[in-house]
Amino acid sequence: MLDIFASIPTQMDYKGQKLAEQIFQGIILFSAVIGFTYGYVIEQFGWTVYIVIAGFAVSCLLTLPPWPMYRRNPLKWLPAQDSAVEEKKQQEKKSKKHK
Amino acid sequence: MNTVLSRANSLFAFSLSVMAALTFGCFITTAFKDRVVPVNIHVSRVTLENVEDFTGPREKSDLGFLIFDINADLQPIFDWNVKQLFIYLSAEYSTKSNALNQVVLWDKIILRGDNPKLSLKEMKSKYFFFDDGNGLKGNRNITLTLSWNVVPNAGILPLVTGSGHISIPFPETYKTPMSY
Repeated sequence: MLDIFASIPTQMDYKGQKLAEQIFQGIILFSAVIGFTYGYVIEQFGWTVYIVIAGFAVSCLLTLPPWPMYRRNPLKWLPAQDSAVEEKKQQEKKSKKHK
Repeated sequence: MNTVLSRANSLFAFSLSVMAALTFGCFITTAFKDRVVPVNIHVSRVTLENVEDFTGPREKSDLGFLIFDINADLQPIFDWNVKQLFIYLSAEYSTKSNALNQVVLWDKIILRGDNPKLSLKEMKSKYFFFDDGNGLKGNRNITLTLSWNVVPNAGILPLVTGSGHISIPFPETYKTPMSY
């Protein structure tokens, strides 16, 4: 059961993580400013809280799932190498040094 | 920030910090507000009795009965940082044994959204006006004031006394109603 969840890819690449952080900070700060002004004008602090919670929900939706826009810059790994060949090469290097 | 959980964690922490800052802002916008409003108190009748006080010294003590009117508009006190007002009518007087006596006669909770205009006629006191001796009889100066606690969403709990009080003399004899 848990393996199913673990097999879902949720990673973002480094640029995607930075973008996600900027997006949620922007949304929450924006909703905070709007909520504070609105609550101050209508004299209901409860509405300030509701608007910030709404901003929280929107930013959850936008940044929690690994949307494709956060996965555009995947890390470039070195190509996989045959381990047997690698070992042989190392052994050769060592033997040369000993001589 | 790599997994869903770590993103949810930082998102939640950031939201809570922002909410705390907003709450502080709510407090600071109302912290220096003057919450005094004019109050009009009128006492129409005072009766004085001398009865045994079973809760106190077990001797005959003075017990006063007041009929009073209160008019006040508390609307200016309410703003976005006020949940409710606890208003109370208190009597202050001095006797031979105590320089200052304070007795709460009546109180009321006014919630946000309730009618903030107080217009009370011919009210009886809610609590007994007992002196701890015979200090009420013939007392020339009993001062009634209306005060309130402002219960906020965030911040301090101010205790405000309304401007406008009334000083009344009490009767010289027991059981004789005195009208004003």
